Amino acid sequence: MSVDKLKKDLDKVLDEALKLITNVNNHTDLENFRVQFLGKKSILNGLMKSLSDLAPEDKAKAGKDLNLVKKKINDFINDKKISLDVTTDDDLDAFDSSMPGKLSSLGSLHPITKIMNEAIDIFQSLKFEYVDGPEVEDEFHNFTALNIPESHPARAMHDTFYLENKNLLLRTHTSSVQIRTMSKKRPPLRIIAPGKVYRKDSDITHTPMFHQIEGLYIDENVSFANLKSTINIFLKSFFEKDDLKIRFRPSYFPFTEPSAEVDIEYYDNKGNKKWLEILGCGMVHPNVLTMANIDCEKYSGYAFGLGVERLAMLKLGITDLRLFYENDLRFLKQFQRV
Amino acid sequence: MKFTRSWLEEYIDISVSTDDLCHQLTMAGLEVDEIIKIDNDFLIDVDLTPNRSDCLSVYGIARELNSINNNFKLKSNKNIKVIPSCQSHQLKINIEEKNVCPIFSYMSLENLNSSFEAPSYITNRLNQIGIKLVHPIVDILNYIMIDIGQPMHAYDADIINGSISLGFAKKNKSFKALDGNEYKLTSKNFIISDSDNVLSLAGIIGSEHSAVSKKTKNIIIESAFFNPDFISNKARDLKLHTESSHRFERGVDFELSTKALRKFSEIIGSNKACNFSEIISVNNSDYLPKKNKVQIDFKKINEVIGISLKNNDVINILKSIGCVFNKKDNTVINPSYRFDLNIHSDYIEEVARLYGYDNIPSNPENINISLSSKYLPRNVINHIKNFLYNSGFSECINYSFVGDNEFENMNWKNENFNNHYKISNYMSLDQSKLRSNLTGSLIKNIEYNSNVNSENSYRFFEVSNVYGANIEQILTCLVSGERHDESWAIKSPKFDKYDMNSIAEDIASMFAIEKHKLNYSIKGHTFNKKKYISLSLSITDLINFLDRNKNEEKFENYSKLPNIRRDLSFLIDSNISYDSLIKKIKEINVHSLKKILLFDLYVGKNIPEDKKSLGMGFIFQEKNKTLTHDEVDVFMNSIIDKLQKKFNIQLRK
Repeated sequence: MSVDKLKKDLDKVLDEALKLITNVNNHTDLENFRVQFLGKKSILNGLMKSLSDLAPEDKAKAGKDLNLVKKKINDFINDKKISLDVTTDDDLDAFDSSMPGKLSSLGSLHPITKIMNEAIDIFQSLKFEYVDGPEVEDEFHNFTALNIPESHPARAMHDTFYLENKNLLLRTHTSSVQIRTMSKKRPPLRIIAPGKVYRKDSDITHTPMFHQIEGLYIDENVSFANLKSTINIFLKSFFEKDDLKIRFRPSYFPFTEPSAEVDIEYYDNKGNKKWLEILGCGMVHPNVLTMANIDCEKYSGYAFGLGVERLAMLKLGITDLRLFYENDLRFLKQFQRV
Repeated sequence: MKFTRSWLEEYIDISVSTDDLCHQLTMAGLEVDEIIKIDNDFLIDVDLTPNRSDCLSVYGIARELNSINNNFKLKSNKNIKVIPSCQSHQLKINIEEKNVCPIFSYMSLENLNSSFEAPSYITNRLNQIGIKLVHPIVDILNYIMIDIGQPMHAYDADIINGSISLGFAKKNKSFKALDGNEYKLTSKNFIISDSDNVLSLAGIIGSEHSAVSKKTKNIIIESAFFNPDFISNKARDLKLHTESSHRFERGVDFELSTKALRKFSEIIGSNKACNFSEIISVNNSDYLPKKNKVQIDFKKINEVIGISLKNNDVINILKSIGCVFNKKDNTVINPSYRFDLNIHSDYIEEVARLYGYDNIPSNPENINISLSSKYLPRNVINHIKNFLYNSGFSECINYSFVGDNEFENMNWKNENFNNHYKISNYMSLDQSKLRSNLTGSLIKNIEYNSNVNSENSYRFFEVSNVYGANIEQILTCLVSGERHDESWAIKSPKFDKYDMNSIAEDIASMFAIEKHKLNYSIKGHTFNKKKYISLSLSITDLINFLDRNKNEEKFENYSKLPNIRRDLSFLIDSNISYDSLIKKIKEINVHSLKKILLFDLYVGKNIPEDKKSLGMGFIFQEKNKTLTHDEVDVFMNSIIDKLQKKFNIQLRK
């Protein structure tokens, strides 16, 4: 008996064990396997006995090799045992994976929240800072500072809710947050301000409360071409459509000049191509900058305002605006997915 | 502004299809709302922005089309010569406020033929655009207003008595308009009166008693210029809106006042309706709106738009809209019909608009500024919303206004509150004040849902501002019924307040703060015999707290030595809070006490009425040594001792 011979024998035993263990399918076979490889009459046991024939300097090394093989075979047995135990579990044999689970515990997020988050995430990636503003406003921030003086016919466009005795109103647009931001910080400014707005209007296409996202960017050399780029990027990523057709059309807002309304092309339910107005925007009016003590010779900027309900209706295919505020579970639960 | 294509073609050559024409109008800022095909013609409805009063006439649209596209050529219309056939009434006119009415022109009609009818092309066109026919003379005036943009008014000349004065009304003077309604005037209303009566609310509407009728023989036609600053809002204040007020408050070209009367004479003269006089005009040109001279900064125009137009291209655009450009000092003067051209940006807009927004490139900006992205409020709210979504809650959004019901007279902590923000011009009583809590809205949501789709479990939440003594953003969760949706496997227990406690706890853990640092309130409610439980929590306070206390997430090494657990069951007065119990135990300051847990709470059978039975587990562990049972016995004894002394607890076996 030599060390080399022993090493060869051990390898043979290990190969054999590796081959046989794959055929073991039950506990009886496994016990037979154990006896065959680790039992008293096993080759390993015989080899163990022959260790004493070795020269003393080889003994330790050979013993180590032998124990390693023994350990490996033991591991085979233990692993097999675990896998046998699992597959023979009687309870699980009766398991019907098509059954409903015990508890389903997903609620739903309001579609306005989801759409708002999607939009904000895009603007966040375009480095717009998130700003909150009050819903109860004064005339200065909602109108005057936005270049809408009392006599201006544009005030007729907003039918405003006024509060009793407090000289306050419910903001008619998130543009008031522009003013609050400019009064606190100096350019460069790059913000979005989402939130609720209120107008005295209620019919199929108007609810007295709705949601807007306002955007504002003021710096040196900001141009209408920059505005176009930001809006294009936003709309294409929001609607996940690289070839989305977008058009900018001249319009009028007292607080921007030039002003634009932005339409996107869509197909109505009869398959007709249509343009749908999706947001208003423009270059911040110099009067607005001046009132906010920002030098309109040095700085320019753009602003935009998005109607969240409009975005949600388009993206989710909702046709009745009023559904948003009925909070009917048949509506809410449709927005369960993340 | 409605008009037909054929009417427009009287002023301009249109070489393109109606669709193409409307596209060009829309892309220049005159948004076409609707195109309706009628007979061999098209009815076009343009939704004009309030700054473009110059386009409130068919001629105005034609003029605008010509500046949009040079290929559309304006036609030159020849004047028809008519000779006045009677003397004008010699009205004594006293304009008290010349700045309000710098031009007052008029003419007289005599012996109107009672069988006279307005020419059919006029009545047809008025019908097509939806303007009601009232009286042949008034119809002709309306036609001219739509045609060239000048509102005029016809008075029964035989009613007018004495001299005419134009000035502000006396307060509280009442005025019966020709729409049959009575209006209370204020000193801001500019009126035209004779020596006895108010004849009209200038530029807005005439009086009933001076209006022309079938029997009217002699008429005075007024064609004035009223300064928009004094007309705007006046009609709206009286809840009035007329074609005339719509134009005057936006601005009517003052050069039209006599032009319109001339046009009127042509129609009357060539139809031989009656005798008509010369045109008389009281003109105080010093008081007319000043034309604005603005210096053009070509560089700035290109910078703001983001293009590189040559100076000459800019000048050509400005000339195309009727401006006068002076090459010497690069100044520009607006035409009298453009009330919206006052400052330099107004001209930037015109250049951008006529250059075509579609032609402006789309250039991303270089943002080389560092911005502090403060997304804390939004992140906090989103974490909470997502947690509730994962816990089976559905999010609601309700209107911020409410009416009077029992739940509205509470603040969000369910304390009495009556000092609401009230809306003065509410649309309905049930939307007359701002809500001071969200519970009432959510109860309504559950009520509504249980009527339309009955469920065994309702779990709703809303995050919104509430308007109590303070304005705060809060979260309210409202539950009713069983804890889970119906399931084959689990008989779901009813919701109780402790379920809401877990939510508060989890929210506290999410932000690594202690629950008692949250500003929250848990309450039970009964409404229409249905039971509800609410949890409300101030998000504003939470965000402020997190903003002030930045606690970073840091790993802390834990002991790997075995721990020892001891359980304790005891009776205690039911009015003693769990919190006070924990506080007392912590006071003993046992270093090895790592965790306290509550595994049982029992009230009812077999224990006295004023007691509750608690089962608590205490887990002891040290970092550097293995605790012995003897040591833990000492700790337990000191805990028991303290609780007995303080709360008189009785141990249970």
